[in-house]
Parts: sequence; structure tokens; C-alpha cells
Amino acid sequence: MSVLVQTELLGRRAIRESLRTPEALAPTLFIPVFFLVVNFGQAGRIFPSDSTPFLHGQTYAAFQLPSSLLLAASFGSAALYLVEDIEGGYFDKLRAAPVSRSALVLGRLIAEGAKTAVLTAALIVIALPFGVTIASGTAGLVLLLVLTSLWGMVFAGFMQLIALKTRSAAATNSGGLVFFPLLFLTPNFVPRDLLTRPMEIAATFNPVTYVMEALRSLILQDLQWDVLARGFGVVAAFGALMLFLNVRLVRRYD
Amino acid sequence: MNALAIEAEGLVKQYRGRTGTVDAVRGVDLSVAAGEVFGFLGPNGAGKSTTVRMLTTLLSITSGTARVAGIDVTADPDAVRRRIGVALQEAGLDPRQTGRELIELQARLFGSSPAEAAGRAEELLELVELTDAADRRIKGYSGGMKRRLDLASALVHQPEVLFLDEPTTGLDPASRLGVWDEVRRINQRGTTVFLTTQYLEEADQLCHRLAIIDDGRIVRSGTPASLKAELRARLALSSDPTLDEVFLDATGRTRERVAGEVQEVGA
Ligand SMILES: Nc1ncnc2c1ncn2[C@@H]1O[C@H](COP(=O)(O)OP(=O)(O)OP(=O)(O)O)[C@@H](O)[C@H]1O
Ligand SMILES: [Mg+2]
Repeated sequence: MSVLVQTELLGRRAIRESLRTPEALAPTLFIPVFFLVVNFGQAGRIFPSDSTPFLHGQTYAAFQLPSSLLLAASFGSAALYLVEDIEGGYFDKLRAAPVSRSALVLGRLIAEGAKTAVLTAALIVIALPFGVTIASGTAGLVLLLVLTSLWGMVFAGFMQLIALKTRSAAATNSGGLVFFPLLFLTPNFVPRDLLTRPMEIAATFNPVTYVMEALRSLILQDLQWDVLARGFGVVAAFGALMLFLNVRLVRRYD
Repeated sequence: MNALAIEAEGLVKQYRGRTGTVDAVRGVDLSVAAGEVFGFLGPNGAGKSTTVRMLTTLLSITSGTARVAGIDVTADPDAVRRRIGVALQEAGLDPRQTGRELIELQARLFGSSPAEAAGRAEELLELVELTDAADRRIKGYSGGMKRRLDLASALVHQPEVLFLDEPTTGLDPASRLGVWDEVRRINQRGTTVFLTTQYLEEADQLCHRLAIIDDGRIVRSGTPASLKAELRARLALSSDPTLDEVFLDATGRTRERVAGEVQEVGA
């Protein structure tokens, strides 16, 4: 049977699992909304729409939305379910079946991508009353959903590496905290050219910066192909890396 | 077809951890003929589960070779996986799925169409008497129900070789007899069964041949009758010993010593 069918079967199972644990889903929506509201509430007046060029006429909430989207996409709960599978022995049952090792990894990641797409759509709807519009139109909206979802898959892939390596929920959970410094070493409050020099350098080396800038360009401007290429490029490169490392770990899993 | 369902030579497993290495299996040779029910006995920590995990592609083999259904486990694990069914010591189930979903998914992963998988699930759930609980989440199943579901999930593709690691531990007497019947029935249809157990009566009842492993090494092997006859001859007993006595003799845990240890603890 093809890898695709197996991936779909395992993906469906992972989605079922998420839907049956709504308690775990709620914070992934609440926390990003909280940051959006708080950041907009605190800095909205410093950056008024009409006199802040980098807002392209929108509110500061539009500028902040990508941070919230990335946060929502970076809970990596897929990895915690994986730890449960490992602890409960179900992972061994799957490993003992003639399932492609790529499907074993991808099933969960695809489910995480789908979940992220739904969360992203919800967050965009929630952001509308704060004066946010998607300036790049329908095509841009689709790209926004796709890019956030792909990032969700990359991050879940990273978390799964920790899960496979440590097989511990505690270690996997704290591994997820790695993302917080990365999220703040980005131009998340102002554009990159307004950062202090050390921060600008740090942001330039941080891959998350390019994903954030791509998402932001989709909200604030017309389609900016060069910015989008960098964002999708980062996600594609890290996605391939995560898939490769995950499959290798599953193959060598003892 | 190869006449041997399981062949292992010099099988060794060393666990390397932060606290040093554990020699769990130290050179095990096995040959299980196709069509047999083979019992694998041994005290706690002897290396039974470790051996099963190596034979079922779940654990890397430190040294030695193993062939299952005629296929080298290390060289072509996927081909082995297609031919074996596995129910491990810790029933591997997903608490958030229903019993039916779990069996259907398992059947689909082994290549069944959706319709075939649904039919197979119905059949197997009936077999292990879980039809009533089929659409409930596994989380709410009792220990025995989980074991039975786990057994059913190992049968979705009618495997050539079935590995059961302590399939009856934790089952009530009636369920245990049910599993025995099931193992016999599966075996009559031509499936080779490799079964570990703590219950010597179970081995006596079910197994055509058995091996006793202690501290990572095989210390006895043969038919239950031949093992009893050997001990009877060696100790010049007036009647056949039980398999319990064979086991205690083989693992150096004589009744006297067991009693002595108990006394020491008591003192
Ligand atoms: N993952 C592991 N890491 C390190 N040592 C292990 C690991 N798994 C098992 N062992 C050790 O290997 C030895 C054999 O264990 P194994 O689980 O194979 O025994 P067993 O015969 O199945 O015992 P039981 O009857 O209790 O199930 C034991 O000493 C055990 O402590
Ligand atoms: Mg065991």
C-alpha cells in the first residue's frame, strides 16, 4: 500500500485524537489571542495607523497577527501525543506493522498542519474586529493558511525529534520552550530595519524572522514574491530536514 | 516454503544505557517449525520479552541472526512485519480510539480495503467477545478487555507467525481458557505461535515444544513430555514430575532454595 494512503490513515487517526481532547486545543487558541490583544492594547497608540508607514494603513494588530499565528502553530502537541503512544505501547504496535516509516512520521505532521490551518482561520476571524484585513486578497489568504500550517508541521517535527529521543513528556514539553526565545529574536514589535543593531543581526540569523516577514507581508501588502520566497524557502528547508531526521530516528528506534 | 518458522542463531542483546550495559540475551539459538505452538518460559528478567522484540523487528540485534517466516529480520524487516502478528507484554493500544476503530485501522495498515477492514473488525471483535464494547473508547476497557483487543489486533492479516508475549497475564480463568482455545484454533489454521508465559500449566496444555530461558541463555528445550522424562530419569523419581518442577530445576530455583529465601525474608 502506498505511503500516501498510510499517511492519510494515520493522519485521520491523529485528527480524531485531537478532536477527542478538546481541553488540549483550547489553550492553543486562547494564548495567541491573549498576546494579540495585550500587545495591541499596549502598543497600539504608539503606532497609529495614519502616521506609521510600516503598517501600510492598517492597525498595529495587523502587524502583531503573525506573531500570534506563529505562536498558535508552535505548540507541537503532536509530539506529546506521540509520547503517549510510546508510553502506552501503541507506537510499538505501529512499528511492528508494515507501515512506511515516513508515513509513521508524516501522519501526525499532516494532522498538525490541518489543525494549524483551522486555528489560523479562527485567529484571522478573531482579528477582524481589531481592524485587520488581508491586503493580499484571496490568494494571499490561502498562502497565509498554507505557510502557517507548514510552519506548524516544521515545529511539530522538531518536537517529535525530542519526543523520539527522550520518550518523556516532561522533556518534550520543555523542549517546546526553545521556541520562545526564537519568537522574540525576530522583528516582532517593529520591522527589522528599526531594530537595534545586535537585535537586527540576531533576527537576520533567526529563520523564524523570514516566516514572520512573509506572513506579515501577506497581511499588510500585495503579494511580495521575494519575501514569500524566503518564508516558504525556510519552511521547505527545515521541513525537509525535520522529515529526514525524524525518519532516521524512527528507523533506529530501539 | 521454509519448514522453519523461526530460526535464531547466537542471538545477543546488550542494552547500553547511562548506567552501563545490560546483557539481556546472551546467545540464544531457536528453531521453531512451521505449524508449531512454541512456548518460551523463564523467570522475570530472563530475556523473554527482549527476544520477542528482536524477532519482531522492534529491537536491534546486537549480534547473531534471526529469520522469521524464512526472512532475515535485519535484512528485510518490512517483509517480516507483513507475515507476523504481535501482541506484546504491555498491550499497545490507543485509549482515544474505539475498539472497532483500532482494529479497522490496523487492518487497513496491513493493506485491506475499507470494506474488508470493516468486515474483519466485526469478525475479530466477535471472536474476542468485544462486540458490545466495540464502539466505546478503549480508555474505558478493563485490563482483560484490553488484552483481548490486543490479541484481536494481532490477527487482522492472518499472520504466518504469531508472537504472544504473556497473552494471559491478568486474565480471569474463563478468559484465559478462551485465549487458549483461540490459540489452538489459530494454530489449527496453520499459524505458528510463539508464546511466552509465566503459567507452566498453560505451556503444558498448549505448547508442542518449549524452551526455558534463564539469565539470557536457553537452559532447557524440548517437548513438555521429554523435559519431564529427562528430569524423572536424572533424579530417579518414581513418577513424572510436573512442568513446575522442570522449570525450578532448570532455573536453579529448587523448592528448597525458594523456601529458604522465603525464610530469610521472614527472619
Ligand atoms: N530498555 C531496557 N534497557 C535496559 N535494560 C533492559 C531494557 N529492557 C529490558 N532490560 C533488561 O533486560 C533483561 C531482560 O528483560 P526482559 O524484559 O526481556 O525479561 P522478561 O523475561 O521478559 O521478564 P518478565 O517475565 O518480567 O517480563 C532484564 O534484566 C531487564 O532489566
Ligand atoms: Mg517480559
